[in-house]
Amino acid sequence: MRILIADDETVSRRLLEKTLERAGYEVTAVSDGRRAAEELCRSEGSRLALLDWVMPQLDGPSVCRVVRRKRSQRHVYLILLTSKSSKEDIVEGLESGADDYLIKPFDPGELKARLHTGQRILELEDNLLEAREDMRYKATHDSLTSLLNRGTILELLAGELARKRRNKGSTTIVMGDLDHFKLVNDTYGHIVGDEVLREVGRRLLASVRSYDFVGRYGGEEFLLVLNNCCPGNAMERTEEIRKAIGDLPIRTTQGSIPITMSIGVFASYGSETRPLEEVLSEVDGALYAAKSAGRNCCCLGSDSRL
Amino acid sequence: MNQEHASLEQYVNMTELLARVDNDRELLAELFTLFREDFPRLHDALHSAVDSGALLQVGNAAHALKGMLANLSIKQGAELAAGVEAAARSGDTPQIRQALAAFDREAAGFSAALDVFMVGWER
Repeated sequence: MRILIADDETVSRRLLEKTLERAGYEVTAVSDGRRAAEELCRSEGSRLALLDWVMPQLDGPSVCRVVRRKRSQRHVYLILLTSKSSKEDIVEGLESGADDYLIKPFDPGELKARLHTGQRILELEDNLLEAREDMRYKATHDSLTSLLNRGTILELLAGELARKRRNKGSTTIVMGDLDHFKLVNDTYGHIVGDEVLREVGRRLLASVRSYDFVGRYGGEEFLLVLNNCCPGNAMERTEEIRKAIGDLPIRTTQGSIPITMSIGVFASYGSETRPLEEVLSEVDGALYAAKSAGRNCCCLGSDSRL
Repeated sequence: MNQEHASLEQYVNMTELLARVDNDRELLAELFTLFREDFPRLHDALHSAVDSGALLQVGNAAHALKGMLANLSIKQGAELAAGVEAAARSGDTPQIRQALAAFDREAAGFSAALDVFMVGWER
């Protein structure tokens, strides 16, 4: 683990450097508070630090205050290591934002134990952040296909429509439904049906740009939001998506299965003011028209602004 | 234990210091070398600050010396430097001069002992 040492006194700095290198730390040593604060405020800077109190440019407590003010994303574990030993000093040091306080000269065993405490706290924070990210992902994504789930894709679509109203941009909304998917489930079973859905999800993601949104709307229904896709290009883009699904059969554990998708399209300029439900109804109607037209095709919503 | 070591032990708690450096004698020599380079500069800075009556600088210089000496387990020296620092923080100029004189005597002793020790070491 990386650690920053900030101490203007050469003997102390070298002693700490050597002690910590021996203990397996990757040490960065600086001799003034300003450089310490800069290093600790970098997004990739050290997250564990030993700070002397009296230093040129910026003293240890000031470094703590700067770090606590500027860096909110991930915790930096700060230990003040100083020969200031009064109760008032300790209180002032900890109140400045230090996590721990050690008095010089340090005892190597105690120093290492205190650093281990810091590491444990940082690891705990990492685990919590990871768990939070995991929960956020699960709350926003479909567990089978890993696409955005219905709630999230609708929320993003509503946001996108509102933004386009403000910026006068264009958005294309695509609703796709796999043709005769019930037959796949009935013929090969639900496990193979799931394999098909996963592969369709992969193909949809591969066929859009990084700033488009792809979500699973229902069982075998998918909703795509093509950002900044002008109505003039909407049908061309949608045809590409349809081909990406249907051109090659999907390989499953039960063999290759041909799959096609019917697609309803709604292309909107920024002037679109109807509520989300009406826009969805429009694109759903276009999907129904594609089904009626014989499936495996794309139909444009009647109110699309071409 | 050789004579140089014995003399230095009047000033330095060698048992504590060796434990601090994990019995690494090369590191010990490196730290003593750094000390011999830096101590005169800090000591001079302390004297200059006292002469000019700059109490904040007196306190800071004494504080730096105290930390350096404590790290090397030069305990009496560190305590005397702490005395100078405390006198400076309380603005007691006569006490500063008195504490500094005591510190200077101690500094002369451990500096000489360290010089002898390092000559023995280098041989």
